[in-house]
Amino acid sequence: MPSLAAARIRERMGAPIGKIPGVWRWPLFVGLSATIPFLLSDVWIQMLVFVGLFIVLGLGLNVVVGFAGLLDLGYVAFFAAGAYSLGIMSSPGSPFDLSMNFWLVLPLGVVIAALFGILLGLPVLPLRGDYLAIVTLGFGEIIRLFLVNREDVTAGSQGLSAIARPEIGGFEIESFTHWYYFVLAAAVVVGFVASRLRDSRIGRAWEAIREDEDVAAAMGVNTVKYKLMAFAIGAAIGGLGGVIYASFIGFISPAGFSLQVSIDVLAIVIIGGMGSTPGVILGALVLVGIPRILLFRETADFLSKLEWMREVLNGLIRGMDAFVPGSIGRLPPAGEWGAELADDTRFIIFGALLVIIMVVRPEGLMPSRRRQLEFAIEEPAALPATGAGG
Amino acid sequence: MSAAELRVRGLGMQFEGLTALADVTMGIPAGEIHGLIGPNGAGKTTFFNCLTGFYRPTSGELWLASQRVDGLPTHVLAALGVSRTFQNIRLFANMTALENVLVGSHTHIRAGGREVLSVHRPSHRATIDRLISLGTAHRAAIQGLVELAGAVGRPPAVRNAEQEAVTSARRILAAVGLAGRENALARNLPYGDQRRLEVARALATRPGLLLLDEPTAGMNPQESAAMVGLIRRIRDEFETTIVLIEHQMRVVMGVCERITVLDYGRKIAEGTPAEVQRDTRVIEAYLGTRALRAGGHGTS
Repeated sequence: MPSLAAARIRERMGAPIGKIPGVWRWPLFVGLSATIPFLLSDVWIQMLVFVGLFIVLGLGLNVVVGFAGLLDLGYVAFFAAGAYSLGIMSSPGSPFDLSMNFWLVLPLGVVIAALFGILLGLPVLPLRGDYLAIVTLGFGEIIRLFLVNREDVTAGSQGLSAIARPEIGGFEIESFTHWYYFVLAAAVVVGFVASRLRDSRIGRAWEAIREDEDVAAAMGVNTVKYKLMAFAIGAAIGGLGGVIYASFIGFISPAGFSLQVSIDVLAIVIIGGMGSTPGVILGALVLVGIPRILLFRETADFLSKLEWMREVLNGLIRGMDAFVPGSIGRLPPAGEWGAELADDTRFIIFGALLVIIMVVRPEGLMPSRRRQLEFAIEEPAALPATGAGG
Repeated sequence: MSAAELRVRGLGMQFEGLTALADVTMGIPAGEIHGLIGPNGAGKTTFFNCLTGFYRPTSGELWLASQRVDGLPTHVLAALGVSRTFQNIRLFANMTALENVLVGSHTHIRAGGREVLSVHRPSHRATIDRLISLGTAHRAAIQGLVELAGAVGRPPAVRNAEQEAVTSARRILAAVGLAGRENALARNLPYGDQRRLEVARALATRPGLLLLDEPTAGMNPQESAAMVGLIRRIRDEFETTIVLIEHQMRVVMGVCERITVLDYGRKIAEGTPAEVQRDTRVIEAYLGTRALRAGGHGTS
């Protein structure tokens, strides 16, 4: 008997993720995530806080881009709205000097960002596809320029510092580990809300709009309402991310709210797999995690042990030189790689990685179930009735 | 929704210099199966587009039951009971058959609060004014928040409504002969099934007026015959007025109780299939005047 039980346990342990019943997957994942601070050092935790933050942002943009199919290139605007809400209302250096409590500003920042979402949504309602992308791109820039130029409101390019931190019953969130749990909690809440919305009539209306807006309207879907809703919810989540970011970093300036943020978040959604929550998580790990890991000392140390590889590569280059003399330089000694990595090389490695991912998996790393079907080459003859929903 | 009467008065649709519809007047009693025929470019689909709010008619009036409906937005018309299918199939290709039908039942799924549709008013202009007024925006915002809360909190009322919608969607799918294909992606369905899925989706809106744009296009005789049977069954089971655009005369003559003929955007004839078939203007429009003369000599 005991051996049977053991075999069973082993079977369970060895089972692929697909074998775990749907209801247990997320609690299990969150539970495992909660143990990470006991296993890793602070640099890793700090990295994971950023990853978590970008998971929140990715989940927000996923509502707009993945669910409703509205290409938004100005997502940074809502991130900035949230961050500056907290900055302006809590920083002693702000032109208003309100020194408000974090918990008071959190809902305010979310609402303000949502209003910005509607503000962006209204003029772009009739726009589709590429045109929508361009206008949202402009919107992001407007917000950034506003931050730079309206010094009377935002303190301009000198930024805002000493931003309020959250306190829970006299316990201040300050260490990386605290922040890790804080961001994890935020991501869980946002993930829950997003998945509930996706599986409601709202989510279905978004999907219908993504597929064919005119037909959706002909079926009774108020496209104006649902598009605005998508923008507002995406923006609210972006605002939440902004509030948390500002508090975590403690200092914000317009430089941190460039187009690059919009692109990073969009890349997370696309690389992960549009419309997919696990995709966003994996996308954030790859896109936010890897560049930071490449910066770690450990990574540089590890790479410096690969001296032999340099020899091999240089040998190859020398061989090529025989045909095309002087075409390529030599790789520097491995010891210098660490410094190189901190510089530009990491972006080359990173960029190449993204290209490879998109070539190998155009549907994203972990596409939503539907996307998997969309990209399936073979037409499924008869789809089996899906049992337990994932 | 019960079958609705449609009245059209002097409907006109002008695109820049092109007159797509001119002074079309007709009345379709509740529960009738009405055919709309005419040569290519006669304005049949334009007529549907006006009825569903895809186009805003440039002149004339549309009355559905006792309500004036021209110029209303598409989704409001859908909520009032106007539903349609499309000549070139326009399904939500990457959604399953069941989901397609569920989108059709969108306005009937409770989502947290009672839906306030502010269009059930006698005055037409006032309706449009209300839709764009601030008061409505304010109410729409509250409604939106309630709907969001309902979707996130998923209280029993919302869950039950969703469950009912799924049950009724399955029933509709079965009624059009798509039982067992609920979880197939729409785009993976064979052509004939896609046409039927479009009908099912339109039925899910519980239409009082169902507009079918060439439901048998591209079908073989057997499939067409099945579609004719389906259309008759729909009228009886779902209590709706049906207008269909059709090119296959066998279908038109077999299923329609009355027919309206359009040519160059104008109504040139109306009547029972037998009457229309004999109408000289119809023969002229379809075959030209020479054919009419030749045919006239032949029979008389």
